[in-house]
Amino acid sequence: MRRLAGAALLLPPLLVFLVFFVCPLVYLFYVSLHDASQSELYGTTVSFASYAAILRDPFYATIILRTLRTAAIILGLALVFGYAAAFTIARMTPRWRILCLVLLLFPLMVSNVVRAYGWVALLGRRGVLSTALRGAGIIDAPLTILYTSDAVVIGLLTILLPYMIISIANSLAAIDRSYHEAAQALGAGPIRTFLHVTLPLSSPGVASGALLVFLLTLSAYVTVTLLGGPQAKMLVSLVYDGVVAFQWPRAAALAFVLPAVALAAAALIQALLRPQRVSGRGR
Amino acid sequence: MKALGFILPAITVLAFLVIIGPIAIVVLAAFSPTEFFTFPPPGLSLRWFFEFFRLDNMRDAFTLSLELALSAATCATVLATMAALAVVRRRGLAAGLLQSLFLAPLVFPTIILGLALLLFYKSLGIGILPGLILAHVLVGTPYCFRAVLTSLQVFDFAQEEAGQSLGAGPFRTFFLITLPQIWPGVLAGWFFALIVSFGELNTALFLTGPGQTTLPIEIFSYLQFQGSQLVIAAASALQVGLILVLILAIERLVGLARLTRS
Repeated sequence: MRRLAGAALLLPPLLVFLVFFVCPLVYLFYVSLHDASQSELYGTTVSFASYAAILRDPFYATIILRTLRTAAIILGLALVFGYAAAFTIARMTPRWRILCLVLLLFPLMVSNVVRAYGWVALLGRRGVLSTALRGAGIIDAPLTILYTSDAVVIGLLTILLPYMIISIANSLAAIDRSYHEAAQALGAGPIRTFLHVTLPLSSPGVASGALLVFLLTLSAYVTVTLLGGPQAKMLVSLVYDGVVAFQWPRAAALAFVLPAVALAAAALIQALLRPQRVSGRGR
Repeated sequence: MKALGFILPAITVLAFLVIIGPIAIVVLAAFSPTEFFTFPPPGLSLRWFFEFFRLDNMRDAFTLSLELALSAATCATVLATMAALAVVRRRGLAAGLLQSLFLAPLVFPTIILGLALLLFYKSLGIGILPGLILAHVLVGTPYCFRAVLTSLQVFDFAQEEAGQSLGAGPFRTFFLITLPQIWPGVLAGWFFALIVSFGELNTALFLTGPGQTTLPIEIFSYLQFQGSQLVIAAASALQVGLILVLILAIERLVGLARLTRS
């Protein structure tokens, strides 16, 4: 009876996810393994032509490298800003900490198109920053940062930073205070305590934050388009262009290059950070 | 060390400024009385909000987004609650796999999910509206799943057994014993799914059609093809306002601490 109830509960959500999440992805992969067709979604011959074309074309290589470079810059900046902010938040009283975390959660709920629009209004040639800086006499010409990779970095960094801060702050808050006291009682200064106790213990939060920021950077089509314009295209823009041009197999193949890059990067992040599963009682 | 005591709070303040600043600018721009946004604005007016509700395409997108969010969040909450109830007592490999499956849309590149669904719908002939609802259910379910799972982890299942040994069927046990104790998690999950669905962008990008567009997609295409008109700022401000109302509702009904934990 119990097992029957368990199966009855599991069946509807499992079916929905298998049929509308797993199946479409398998089908997308199936499409990517076919040649293009004029009239149908895909041709009749099975081929790796789409993947081969992506690997051989220097245009794709340029864009993939640009994507990786941009993602690496964003990740590096997010780690520095994220850790500093998380460290400050983790030392606050619980009341303030919750307030800060809610202030970070709220922007995550606002649609990325709205947040990117905010940066368009700030960074544009006639935008708020341009006008203010010119009014103050700091710059003479209007800002030309919008529609460059720099604008994409600024926009995506600020859009994704809350994930990093929340993730690190949660793992910092879970560290048992007595570890710090033990380190200090054994004669370690604050810097050594940080490097040998706090930093390793917070590595799970750093790893999950880094993973999330990297993954979301790769798939942030709208932000890249609005802030980067046609000059700063990334891998995800090519997926979109493929769809708009009805090159279904090509778009499908590109769609699988994206998670492949993401998986490779995820493995790298895991290997570099080796997040340690040491749990404390927390405060 | 002294310098660090100054630098860390400074970086934190800067981080909060760049995270919240762009949203604040958009909301401020929505209240401009002028044709173009100037900073500081010469005054405040509601003309762009009136303009927003005067434009058919904007009003339709707003209504569709609201309907979509309400229906998708409700479906997602039902599915996620079932999934969480089924998964929470299982151990081992199967449980781990199921959990990863129900959480997968959180980390999976959403634009690729959108493309996969587009091709899948095309070959099955599924219409725009049911297709959008399904996509939003998929994207919202992980948030509900996590919220319900968190509240189930502190639930004492011996109470369910007690109910059943006293002759209550599985439905009565759930509605009389389990649900009253986990409802804050269920409600928080519903709110989460509602907010996520209302702002959903990347998955819906390929799935909307002529006359059936969600508000974020409408904002995006306006920004892309018609430049930044301030009616877009009003649309954005409405979204921000709705989220603030929902956050206040969560705070009133289940407490903000739950929000930061799940």
